[in-house]
Amino acid sequence: MILEIEGLNKSFRSPVKAAGLSGQVRSLVKREYREIRAVRDVSFSVPRGEMLAFIGPNGAGKSTTIKLITGILYPDSGSISVLGMDPHRQRKALSLRIGTVFGQKSQLWYHLPARDSFDLLGSIYNLSAAETARRVAELTQVFELKDFLDQPVRKLSLGQRIRCEIAASLIHSPEILFLDEPSIGLDVVVKARIRDLIKRLNEESGITVFLTSHDAGDIEKLCRRVIVINEGTAVWDGSVKEMKYSLLNRRIIDVKLEEELNLDLEGVTVLKSRPYSAKLEADLNRVDMREVMEALIRHNTIQDINVSTIPMEEVIAHIYENRTAGGVGTWEA
Amino acid sequence: MVRIIGKYIRFNLAAAMEYRVSFLVQVLGMALNNSAFIFFWLLLFEKVGEINGYGFREVMLLWSLTAAGYGINEVFLGNGRFLSPIIYRGELDVYLLQPVPLLPNILCSRMNTSGWGDLAYGIVLFLLSQELTPLRLLLFPLLCLLAAFLFSAINVLYNSLTFYMGNAENLAGSVYNMVLMFATYPGTIFKGASTWIMHTLLPAALVIWIPTELILDFSWEKGLLLLGADGLMILLAILLFRGGLKRYASGNRMGTRL
Repeated sequence: MILEIEGLNKSFRSPVKAAGLSGQVRSLVKREYREIRAVRDVSFSVPRGEMLAFIGPNGAGKSTTIKLITGILYPDSGSISVLGMDPHRQRKALSLRIGTVFGQKSQLWYHLPARDSFDLLGSIYNLSAAETARRVAELTQVFELKDFLDQPVRKLSLGQRIRCEIAASLIHSPEILFLDEPSIGLDVVVKARIRDLIKRLNEESGITVFLTSHDAGDIEKLCRRVIVINEGTAVWDGSVKEMKYSLLNRRIIDVKLEEELNLDLEGVTVLKSRPYSAKLEADLNRVDMREVMEALIRHNTIQDINVSTIPMEEVIAHIYENRTAGGVGTWEA
Repeated sequence: MVRIIGKYIRFNLAAAMEYRVSFLVQVLGMALNNSAFIFFWLLLFEKVGEINGYGFREVMLLWSLTAAGYGINEVFLGNGRFLSPIIYRGELDVYLLQPVPLLPNILCSRMNTSGWGDLAYGIVLFLLSQELTPLRLLLFPLLCLLAAFLFSAINVLYNSLTFYMGNAENLAGSVYNMVLMFATYPGTIFKGASTWIMHTLLPAALVIWIPTELILDFSWEKGLLLLGADGLMILLAILLFRGGLKRYASGNRMGTRL
């Protein structure tokens, strides 16, 4: 295993201030604190070459976990082993073997061309001038940076900047790439392009990718495994497919009919009904798919039928809303 | 690390050159601003002759050491006074993820261009206002360097309090400015408790007064004592920063490197 986390805990202390001026004055004299348990007893491991999605709502503990793993934050308790190293005792040695992209924080110099930042990062990662030049040439080709590599970063579009950010994080050929919301603020075309690049990178170099994202497409298109974290606790660890198919145990049925829909079955909700078509949602925890099909055929003359799973966006929305319907309540492992 | 510091200097200069006019205005503006004080002291000494053993030339030595030491700190260790916002905005992350010594990496990664004006002013003032001997020509750059390290240690020490008390930006800024201000006044005008404060909490004495005395009248004993005290101050700053790192909470604020 390239990454092993066991019983990880991290809390933050946050001052509690009463509202209004009097509250502010009181907090000057006697300050009260609230403990926020950002990460609670999280354990998991990751094999080499895996692309793992680490998802959860805002404030769930995703970024804190990444920061604990990469050595930015100190854990309260628990053990972390990354490439066989303790990130806090061996921070410098570890940073030579991992790459990180925080979508919200840039490691590029705003006023200088990305090429200059690559050059400086090459020195920081102890690469010779020749090695840096070779690596920059490789990454320029893979991430198609040639047209804007010599423009100051402030003049780049967000998509171009993120491509440069990811390339910058790969300058030292890391074995693990941590991507914390890399697609934040990007349009759909650029997102798809960045995804393709990450996928290609994983396939060609075997780099392990640890991804946090709110974007369903990132998770579905890139990762086979997903860990869901909510309120600091890992509530699901399994394949993306399994999460999609079994956790939100519902199907959407689009039917084309020769007359108006005639169906009254427990567990089936009519989402939309028109004279010759209908959209239904079947809750498979309450009704069997076979029963739904039989009832449909028995009472209607069907011209066409299409059964689909719930879109990934909705799966994630359910996770974030912490709904218990549709099997979400059974997640707590 | 030396190679990286060299690159930082080159890069920060290149970044400053992106806005050439602004760079020149800042450098010349700072030199002019400092020059204005020469006339103030000239007029004062014409009236009073001497203040507790300090004449015009001695005060100009205080100014040249202060300006050059401050300038070196601002140019080559320029991120020190921004350490507090770097900590509370969660911007240490980028530095913590790089395989180089943390504090030098943070401190050297920013250059405050107006510092070039201070540095140039300090050197020119020293050369023009002082009686130049080989010993003084050797001591001046060394003591400027030492002053720069101490200015930086003051920045690190007080800004690191952010780890412990939430936001020490204003406190650290005030201390830095007070040390800077007191450094340019003759140390002999301070008596009693204030002298102790100037050797400890607001160490203007360590940064400038004692180095000035060393240039005027060198003694090994005083020189070694100064080195010891400076070393202690720098060590304290490093320890406070390192201890604070364990309390670092990071954050998710949007940010970029300037």
